[in-house]
Amino acid sequence: MLAARRRKMKLWVLAVLISFAGYSLSEEENVARLLASKNVLNQYLVEGRDLTVQYTIFNIGGSAALDVNLKEESFPEQDFEVVKGNLNVKWERIAPGTNVSHVVVLRPLQFGYFNFTAAEVSYKPSENAASAVVGFTSAPGEGGIVGSKDFDRKFSPHVLDWLVFAIMTLPSLTIPFLLFYRSKSRYDTPKPKKN
Amino acid sequence: MEFAGKMISLVVLLVVPFVVLGDSCLSPEVKAETYTTTEAIVSTETVFIVQFTLTCKNKVRDMNLYADINGRTLPVTKTDKPDLYQVSISDDHKKLSSGKYEVRLYDEEGYSMLRKAQRSGESVDSVKPVTSITFNHPGVSKGPFVQSEFVAVVIAVLVWYFAYSTRSQLQSSN
Repeated sequence: MLAARRRKMKLWVLAVLISFAGYSLSEEENVARLLASKNVLNQYLVEGRDLTVQYTIFNIGGSAALDVNLKEESFPEQDFEVVKGNLNVKWERIAPGTNVSHVVVLRPLQFGYFNFTAAEVSYKPSENAASAVVGFTSAPGEGGIVGSKDFDRKFSPHVLDWLVFAIMTLPSLTIPFLLFYRSKSRYDTPKPKKN
Repeated sequence: MEFAGKMISLVVLLVVPFVVLGDSCLSPEVKAETYTTTEAIVSTETVFIVQFTLTCKNKVRDMNLYADINGRTLPVTKTDKPDLYQVSISDDHKKLSSGKYEVRLYDEEGYSMLRKAQRSGESVDSVKPVTSITFNHPGVSKGPFVQSEFVAVVIAVLVWYFAYSTRSQLQSSN
């Protein structure tokens, strides 16, 4: 009796799991699902030099995502200057299985640690969806923005510094040479003429 | 009644062309600003950003545009400002070399014709774009060609060599 009941329980659980899986899989066929990533395409983050931020949105769902909006509000105006690109953009539709990408170039006006947080993405997963789905991109995390003086100290060619160094070494080279040349010209005997 | 009929047909004749041409852009005017990556030390990938305003005489707004840059086709991003669009491309420094690039912009109709041409293997030049934008990428700089420290060392070695050879010459002649 008990064994029969246990078997029935197991069958029920299995049936519920299968129907749930089937339901969620069939859901995927008709809705769009977006994954958004935000990357900083910089090796060094330097104050006063370009900082490139790339956003990529993938549609992994089964139908097109409509009315996709990307809103980036995490870069305060006094700390970052927009060189090119827009922080508030939209796409009418993203087909299933495709991706779109968007790039913005900023310039940091201050140095120090900055936490790169996520931008907001909203879209309608299907044509007759009641409301828009709101999500976030990935966040690159904290990065250190190096001051321009420190970066130059490490990476600029220092041509002026080398020229100054060369000029400073000239005395130690030219004074002995002049002394030698003067004594040489004084004591040099003229070549004997051939008879 | 006859007059009404004539009026209606006249109105229809005048309106239908605009309805049919409502979606495509008449006499497009484009103003573009471009940005290309210039420093390879700081950036890991080369990026092109083409930001442009496209205005049509028939005031078509919020168009769905597609861009084709050197064989790459992608949808154009719309912004929150009217008539302002953006096209962004990013790739390795080596893949986006210096030179002239042309961005061809297509509307929905042009894009479907372009796809058809691509699939059937026809030349894509037969599809006429709404407009096109050209820009020049000067290339990325990887820093000075020769390190200044290297030049300094070479000059120092040359000076030393000159002094040493003169000295040995004098000694041998003595």
